[in-house]
Amino acid sequence: MSNAPTETAVDERVKSRSRFREALIRPELGGMVGTVAVFTFFLLFAFDSGMFNSQGMMNWSIVSAQFMIIAVGACLLMISGEFDLSVGSMIGFTGMMIAIFSVTLGWPVWLAILTTFALAVSIGALNGFIVIRTGLPSFIVTLAFWFILRGFAIFLPQVIERKTIIGGIKDVAEGDWLAFLFGGKILTGVFQWLGDAGLIATFTRGTREGQPVVDGIPMLIVWAIGLIIFGHVLLTKTKFGNWIYASGGDAEAARNSGVPVNKVKILMFMFTAFCATVFATCQVMEFGSAAADRGLLKEFEAIIAVVIGGALLTGGYGSVLGAALGALIFGVVQQGLFFLNVEPSLFRVFMGVILLGAVILNTYIRRIITGER
Amino acid sequence: MTSLTKKLALAAAVAATPLMAATTASAEGEKYILVSHAPDSDSWWNTIKNGIALAGEQMGVDVEYRNPPSGDLADMARIIEQATASGPNGIITTLADYDVLSGPIKSAVDSGVDVIIMNTGSPDQAREVGALMYVGQPEYDAGYAAGLRAKGDGVGSFLCVNHYIVQPSSQERCQGFADGLGVELGTQMIDAGQDPAEIKNRVLAYLSANPDTDAVLTLGPTSADPTILALEENGMAGDIYFGTFDLGGEIVKGIKAGVIQWGIDQQPFLQAYLPVVVMTNYHRYGVLPGNNINSGPGFVTADGLEKIEMFAGEYR
Amino acid sequence: MNPEKAPIIQMKNIEKHFGSVIALAGVSLEVFPGECHCLLGDNGAGKSTFIKTMSGVHQPTHGEIYFEGKPMSFGDPRDAITAGIATVHQHLAMIPLMSVSRNFFMGNEPVRKIGPLNFFDHDYANQVTMDEMRKMGINLRGPDQAVGTLSGGERQTVAIARAVHFGAKVLILDEPTSALGVRQTANVLATIDKVRKQGIAVVFITHNVRHALAVGDRFTVLNRGQTLGTAQRGQITPEELQDLMAGGQELVALEGSLGGTV
Repeated sequence: MSNAPTETAVDERVKSRSRFREALIRPELGGMVGTVAVFTFFLLFAFDSGMFNSQGMMNWSIVSAQFMIIAVGACLLMISGEFDLSVGSMIGFTGMMIAIFSVTLGWPVWLAILTTFALAVSIGALNGFIVIRTGLPSFIVTLAFWFILRGFAIFLPQVIERKTIIGGIKDVAEGDWLAFLFGGKILTGVFQWLGDAGLIATFTRGTREGQPVVDGIPMLIVWAIGLIIFGHVLLTKTKFGNWIYASGGDAEAARNSGVPVNKVKILMFMFTAFCATVFATCQVMEFGSAAADRGLLKEFEAIIAVVIGGALLTGGYGSVLGAALGALIFGVVQQGLFFLNVEPSLFRVFMGVILLGAVILNTYIRRIITGER
Repeated sequence: MTSLTKKLALAAAVAATPLMAATTASAEGEKYILVSHAPDSDSWWNTIKNGIALAGEQMGVDVEYRNPPSGDLADMARIIEQATASGPNGIITTLADYDVLSGPIKSAVDSGVDVIIMNTGSPDQAREVGALMYVGQPEYDAGYAAGLRAKGDGVGSFLCVNHYIVQPSSQERCQGFADGLGVELGTQMIDAGQDPAEIKNRVLAYLSANPDTDAVLTLGPTSADPTILALEENGMAGDIYFGTFDLGGEIVKGIKAGVIQWGIDQQPFLQAYLPVVVMTNYHRYGVLPGNNINSGPGFVTADGLEKIEMFAGEYR
Repeated sequence: MNPEKAPIIQMKNIEKHFGSVIALAGVSLEVFPGECHCLLGDNGAGKSTFIKTMSGVHQPTHGEIYFEGKPMSFGDPRDAITAGIATVHQHLAMIPLMSVSRNFFMGNEPVRKIGPLNFFDHDYANQVTMDEMRKMGINLRGPDQAVGTLSGGERQTVAIARAVHFGAKVLILDEPTSALGVRQTANVLATIDKVRKQGIAVVFITHNVRHALAVGDRFTVLNRGQTLGTAQRGQITPEELQDLMAGGQELVALEGSLGGTV
């Protein structure tokens, strides 16, 4: 009995798995297939609608980049086994705080931004702390913050300024170094050259006549790419990334192995709040105003992008690249349907179908990973 | 294989359509996109949709209606950018927040798309962004006029039921009304939310806490309909002074029944219909009215409700 | 069994009370390096409480623990792990969605420095995992194979190999075979045998007499929070062990064969 033959360890049922199913267990696969499918579809049916001219591409790129920024945070948090429903409210709240600090209180914009980041990350930590301490589902705790933060985003400006939109941020942000980091554009020279060379369209009239219609890469997109790279490296290439997977896969098993699960989860809540604040800051700096209703429904859009990207709602599995592709699909479909002249209300139907398909695929993948037992 | 061939053929057809159109165009088939700031749930915008659809039919042009599903103005800015990218002949848009929307609108104008501002915004802002004209009802002025009228009727305090508090123009209406009355707005404006049951209960709560309130002002069917129910429930219907912005089926019934003293009709049909007609004629024959068009305010009272009743919620 | 060797861990008169419930009423046990000490008992006998005391999860109400001859008191499981006492739980050991190598190094990730940054050294982790698994007789398709695709026995083996790799001197196995089929059980028992031969003390908790007899050097039976005695291999038959576990009704008759330790 104590001399069990070694070959018993090789399970012939495991070996019979095909390459196709092997490929399926990569979390990004759904996202990759979806991205190819979506682009093929729109290239076929919407190529000449303006969707793929420079303005059109910039349009869906920006929308996708917005989704990407919040999806990276939501993705890492979901892999670590938690949700944050307060993302959308956090966007409204932090945007409003920047406006109140900089316009109403007259602080320098960089100080307003840094203070807001500190505030947001603290709220994220509080979210995480409450979840860990009470053992309540993060769903409920962050739902509470969904109300609380949105409430403050409406209440504060109404009390202070008697309105729910605070404008004039562009004027105070003029020349501020940190404001440029969120609202500026890079590579403007390249785009001017492209415009001059006739490779992209230029304005035909007005004060900007001759300037290219797309005059640079907004920092929003730079942030999105930066956060994706950061999140991907953190998750797959570091010790901490292993802890994120472990915390979401089975918190008890992770604790038994010495993983500081609570710390990991709280840090992920803080990171999610950070991402929401990046989103809000970019938006505020671009549009020059903060409104109480900014970021409505964004928490769900972030979660949908993450799920389309192959992460499991139950945690422990997923990929930042997948989430980024999910965000790209989301952005391209949302904007693309407009270009296709599809009745806008049908957008929700499309998203529902895509979401359902992604979740079913994910469940199938999980069965494969866990050996269909 | 065959399905791929079909797709390619379809793609080729789709790609060729604008080219074919380009050769015969300039007579008919112009494309106009109307962008609003309203969330999907706001039924008032049906009139707008019907208005552009009718104008499109009569003028022989393509019209489209676009809006941010959740009413987020930042999303609306993207929609305007996108509308520009799709290369229409003209864009008709609301100017709900100048800071957010002026950039995309200016870009549209500069890339050769004509723009008309409708509904929200002001004539000054329309000129500022380079739009052809403004068609609508200046909100503060309308509120102020209503306030003056109510003051004449002996009103000294009121409740403003705001169902869309994050939209600045809604607050201008309440503020204008308060200024017309000559009182402080203070806490007389409540954030009612969008849900009918919530609106009704908040109105009930406010009125039982402040029984001396002289008047109720609602900002559209979304807040007016539940408010009518609330007043019927607490017995104040027909007793308290009730004015509302905008019209709708229930509001018209309320006016007829004497529950509502007046409705301020900004005639949204005109705000949608006229820009399409104006732009089409401008693009076809180069003619353009020399001024902005005020579609309202018009006070609708119990007199002469017949037409309004027939078309309420559809064209009125 | 080498009697000259000092016991690596000694538990003396351990008592554990939970409020008014007395879970352990004076249990003593010695474990020597390189032996497989089986801890048997029916459900509710106090096996779990006892090993949790040994691994630092619970602190004993009375009694002493000597580790390598020195008195020890473990504040929490990390103290015990640091000292070299590793526990492999029946459940909660592995994360099915993660790869074998990620599981293997969970909480002990190898790090490689690139500039000022620390990165998870996947190459090293994969190499070690494959080697250790091969030693235990498991041929993985690759180190990135998810643990979920392994059988229950293989998962136990991974967990055991992990504990051994990270320097466990005492390995506590909490019912590793209870949910397994015949063949998988054989694999786990073979693994236990390999580990014991490396000089590691194994505490094997089970309520299956045949599994215990297959690998055990000594057998201690717990019943209602008390030790019914410790027997050497070859001094006791499966039937006798079974009876002991069943409640010790035939205790008197067995006194002789238990070597007077009752």
